[in-house]
Amino acid sequence: MLTRLAGARIVDPAHGAQEEVRDLYVRDGRIVDRPRDGERIDRTWDAAGTIAMAGAIDLHTHIGGGKVNIARGLLPELGRQHSLSATDVCGACTIGPAPSTLATGYRYAAMGYTACFEPAMQPVNARQAHMEMGDTPIVDKGAYAMLGNDDFLLRLLADGADRAVIRDYVAWTLHSTQAIGIKVVNAGGISAFKFNQRSLDVDEAHVHYGITPRTILRELARAVHDLGVPHPLHVHSSNLGVPGNVDSTLATIDAAEGLPIHLTHLQFHSYGTEGDRRFSSAAARIAEKVNASPNVSVDVGQIMFGQTVTASGDSMLQYRNARHGRPAKWVVMDIECDAGCGVVPFRYRDRDFVNALQWAIGLELFLLIRDPWRVFLTTDHPNGGPFTSYPHLIKLLMDGSFRKDVLARINPEAAAMTALGSLEREYSLQEIAIMTRAAPARILGLEDHGHLGAGAAANIVIYEPHPDPEVMFATPRWVFKDGELVAERGEVKAVPQGAIHTVKPDFDRGIERRLKTWFEQHHTQSLASFKIDDEEVCECGRAPRLAVHACRARSS
Amino acid sequence: MPLRGATCGFCGLLCDDLEIEVEGAALRPVRGACARSEAALAALGAVVDPVPRIAGQPASLDSALTAAAETLRCARRPVIGGLDVDVAGMRSALALAQRIGAVVDHAGGSIKYRNLHALQEFGAITTTFAEARNRADLVLLAGDGWWRRFPRFVERILAPTGAERRIVTLTALDPATRMTLPKQAEVLALDAPLVGLPAVCTMLHALVADRPVQATRLTGVSQPALQRCAEWLRAAKYGVIVWSAADFDWAHAELTVQAIAQLVRTLNATTRFAALPLAGNDADLTANAVQTWQAGVPLPASYANRSVDFDPKRYAWRDVLARGEADLLLWVSSLSAAAPPPVPGIPCVALTRADVGVGAAAHVQIPVATPGIDAAGHLLRSDKVITLRLPRLRESGLPAVSTVLDALLARLALTRC
Ligand SMILES: [Zn+2]
Repeated sequence: MLTRLAGARIVDPAHGAQEEVRDLYVRDGRIVDRPRDGERIDRTWDAAGTIAMAGAIDLHTHIGGGKVNIARGLLPELGRQHSLSATDVCGACTIGPAPSTLATGYRYAAMGYTACFEPAMQPVNARQAHMEMGDTPIVDKGAYAMLGNDDFLLRLLADGADRAVIRDYVAWTLHSTQAIGIKVVNAGGISAFKFNQRSLDVDEAHVHYGITPRTILRELARAVHDLGVPHPLHVHSSNLGVPGNVDSTLATIDAAEGLPIHLTHLQFHSYGTEGDRRFSSAAARIAEKVNASPNVSVDVGQIMFGQTVTASGDSMLQYRNARHGRPAKWVVMDIECDAGCGVVPFRYRDRDFVNALQWAIGLELFLLIRDPWRVFLTTDHPNGGPFTSYPHLIKLLMDGSFRKDVLARINPEAAAMTALGSLEREYSLQEIAIMTRAAPARILGLEDHGHLGAGAAANIVIYEPHPDPEVMFATPRWVFKDGELVAERGEVKAVPQGAIHTVKPDFDRGIERRLKTWFEQHHTQSLASFKIDDEEVCECGRAPRLAVHACRARSS
Repeated sequence: MPLRGATCGFCGLLCDDLEIEVEGAALRPVRGACARSEAALAALGAVVDPVPRIAGQPASLDSALTAAAETLRCARRPVIGGLDVDVAGMRSALALAQRIGAVVDHAGGSIKYRNLHALQEFGAITTTFAEARNRADLVLLAGDGWWRRFPRFVERILAPTGAERRIVTLTALDPATRMTLPKQAEVLALDAPLVGLPAVCTMLHALVADRPVQATRLTGVSQPALQRCAEWLRAAKYGVIVWSAADFDWAHAELTVQAIAQLVRTLNATTRFAALPLAGNDADLTANAVQTWQAGVPLPASYANRSVDFDPKRYAWRDVLARGEADLLLWVSSLSAAAPPPVPGIPCVALTRADVGVGAAAHVQIPVATPGIDAAGHLLRSDKVITLRLPRLRESGLPAVSTVLDALLARLALTRC
């Protein structure tokens, strides 16, 4: 089966900044250079006058796992307000701030996204995370396993365990939970909260284990690097949402000691304490540091005005921030000597000083961090706002005068405290394509995603140019997933199942002897029950295939 | 005789340390079985060649599926109930509900909703088994039946050494369970009557918040005992309160759960404290979780009119049937020994555990595999974080729930009423 997409302007930054009008060919779900001699073209799509990009990739979106499901259960009134009717191919579902998995898959695909990565899969909750992702149709999926608050690792670090042991444990976790990366959330802080510690700075000691977040960050970044996992350690820094947390964010960057790290939802970690309200933007200091640190990549976690719900592994900070939540009901959980979570609904208001400044800080970061290969477009869905607001966010980045119009409407005190009005930068189509396609594919090690070269998965989005980027990005004309038309002008046309992306670095299985004893002494399931093998993850995740990406072990 | 490791799905604890001898259909527990699992294993082990039935008469699976599809095809207001099934079974049940526009609820939905209702009104601070096992230095026990529903809770979570524990029995504990409490634990018996539990929680809440209170006859507990309990609460480093919502069998039970949640939240201002509700029996958490992630709203729900709606006042299955709003009951059951309730005047298609007889209550009965016995399956544990895979123990030839429901869906797709 050979398909031709004829006449689109190709925006494919993985293959250079050159934009050209040319035909794309798809054979059996893959992009090919050209037809073989005499090969029949089965179908031609006339894409003249359109723009073609690879399928977009969201590298940080909370689409699966228990805490999103807690949010759904906590807020049925919000789900009920946004009902999606069944169609010939789609099931009935709802799309509140914590949307159903079905709606998540449908809407991501209709917006031109073909891969989504759950950033906070708790190892003990991994099966459920894969099941929820399995019921998120169309898009490919993957997840980062959370480490750094689990008692096993904290005890290893407290005992000064050998780096090789830590490396083996990290690799074992990737295998056992079927993850593609490792995330650390408030290093040590979630655990410390279980011992009634209420805050934990980067160089403060965990009250029970005596180790600091700096040690945890350094050792995890080292292990991930040495194992050759493509995605650097994914870091949710200390002190989320706390005024003045700029210092701990800068300290977190230093803790990596030059090794690659990815700082997630950076907006929530870029706060100063200037001004009458003791709350200010520290985006300029953070951006300067990021610009000067080539080992660092970030995603922004932009907040969008409106009702949403925050669902985070960071039980310590979610508990602390819960009093600001609306509606006033929330959940905090300690989880299985492994992790924690906190679910707090928020209503971000443009007339509210703090919310308005948070909004501006996110945009400042986007505009001040120069390299689009190292800054990714996220709202930390659903924490800063739902992923469905991405087209609006793209407009804020591409259209300076629109941005200034919105700035004029927000809380005036906040507007006076942001440099946003003086930032003239407008993102180009190339830059949007980098930050939503080429760069996330590269940083995740997805060789065959995020570009339109031969051999790539035929995840292709055909946009109709429009003066309003929000319109253009909200409803592409066609979205192809592995060569199949899945959405047309916002309407879902087919509902295939996506693959699961993982990594499986080499390691010494001897670590399991130690783990088996640990499970028997402390856990409430056996080691065998905990592990998820390839067959099981494909069943749970309803995945036609497991895409295992290469790791190249590095010595340090 | 082959000895197999097993994970038990007959309560929400999902104990994964059982050893069972399997010979033919017979299942002999050697290790780890509690009274609940022993009863289920004995009942399932005694069944020989269960067959589908149409109007009480043995039939092939194929003709039973055809008869069931015929019945389903013409339903306008079907109810899908039972739903003590694994994740795959629930996925298939929801796909079918989408197709036929059914009201969907779990057999124990109204009990399950007691905790969920309180969550939706107030929120919660909760914990999980391994946290309780390793950290809890104070455990409050409430309720008069959880030890029958979760027989190994004390043995598996409270008895292992780790934290030195104090234990408070808010309501009277049965003597046999009391015997199993860790020997070294200091025990304070408040032993309030069950109906006094909400008042006890409110009083303790007032005491730890330093508000003066008078113990009333409502609590049935002496003032000094309450004071002592409040002191223990304040002194705890990691306290846990345990209950099973099935014990709270009174109107507005969610207010009792909420009183507990309020006490827990107040305690967290100074120390760490968390709720540990026991749940998950008959896979109620599994059914609710799958529904919640797929639809974005929990059970009970309606899939009528090509949209999904959540409303516990309208869609609780017993009420829908009692109001005469249903024209078909599809009962889907694989873990529980309960038969579908007789509903005069409407047809019933029943998928049941192999040992369950339905008599004339169901037009079509199809015996199905029990997860963890006849087929592998996934269930959610009591603490809502862990999902375990229950491996298959024996070759019974019984079809999995998902297999039967998928086959029904395929037959429905072929023709319309
Ligand atoms: Zn996040």
